[in-house]
Amino acid sequence: MDKLAKQLRDDAQRIDVSVSDELDRRIDASLRAATPETEVTRPAPVARPPLFWWASTITGIAAAIAVIAIVNWQEPEQQVVPAVDLRATVPPIEFELKAETAMLTAPLQEELDRLQSDLKKAEEKVKRDIGL
Amino acid sequence: MSNERKLIAAAKAGSADAFADLVRGYRERLLRFLLTRSPSYADAEDVLQDTLIAAFRYLHSYDPRWRFSTWLYRIAIRNAAKLRGPDLVEIGDLRDEENDPLQQCIADSETDNLWLCARQLLNDEVFAAMWLRYAEDMSVNDISKSLDRSVSWTKVNLMRGRRVLERHMNSGAEKSEAYG
Repeated sequence: MDKLAKQLRDDAQRIDVSVSDELDRRIDASLRAATPETEVTRPAPVARPPLFWWASTITGIAAAIAVIAIVNWQEPEQQVVPAVDLRATVPPIEFELKAETAMLTAPLQEELDRLQSDLKKAEEKVKRDIGL
Repeated sequence: MSNERKLIAAAKAGSADAFADLVRGYRERLLRFLLTRSPSYADAEDVLQDTLIAAFRYLHSYDPRWRFSTWLYRIAIRNAAKLRGPDLVEIGDLRDEENDPLQQCIADSETDNLWLCARQLLNDEVFAAMWLRYAEDMSVNDISKSLDRSVSWTKVNLMRGRRVLERHMNSGAEKSEAYG
């Protein structure tokens, strides 16, 4: 210990101090009157029975189902389509219902007649050549 | 478990007797320290009483990693600071020179007590750091905790305080040689 430190320590010891009896009594009385504050402790978590876990799980699932059901329950909005008079907007179509089948078959019939006459002529010519 | 820890545990449970036993050895040391920081002897006694009551009431907040004396001195320093008021005037400005409590406790033959000079030469906080280091033999860490200052602040100011006092001692020695 150096000289300064030693002198400071010795000089501190030379400061003559004592706690008087009156101060002693005052302190004791104050301490007895004072109440120490207790530490505010967080209560220890209490273990819950498994029934609570099941109950909360079921409640959660039921709530989820209810929300899904409510969301899907709502019918889709019907689109209001204004009534349109098709007859007014679309021009009437006129169909030609008369079919002229004769026009389609006449050339074939004529061709057939011509072939038959040609055949008859050829038969007569053969008969004449052989002298029948 | 040490005796001090047993007493702390009992006091935490509400035993005033255990707390009185616990602080019995600190009372005079605290009072001596508080005399250096109070304008009068009565003020020092009041601060000591307030300090012990506060320590008892808030003992639940005491961290056992600290030395009990360090925690006690910290409360004492805070309570003594209340005497300085919100403007934190120096204790010397509040003190009446005729009723200086420290002067009263030093015998007439020892008026060259170095702590009297230290109080005149150093500011309140540096003086407190020097007191805790050399009168109470506290470590630098404990002093920094008590004063609520950093360790580096404490080291620097202890060194400054030492230099000031050494200069004062040397000048005193030179004077006595010159007169001798």
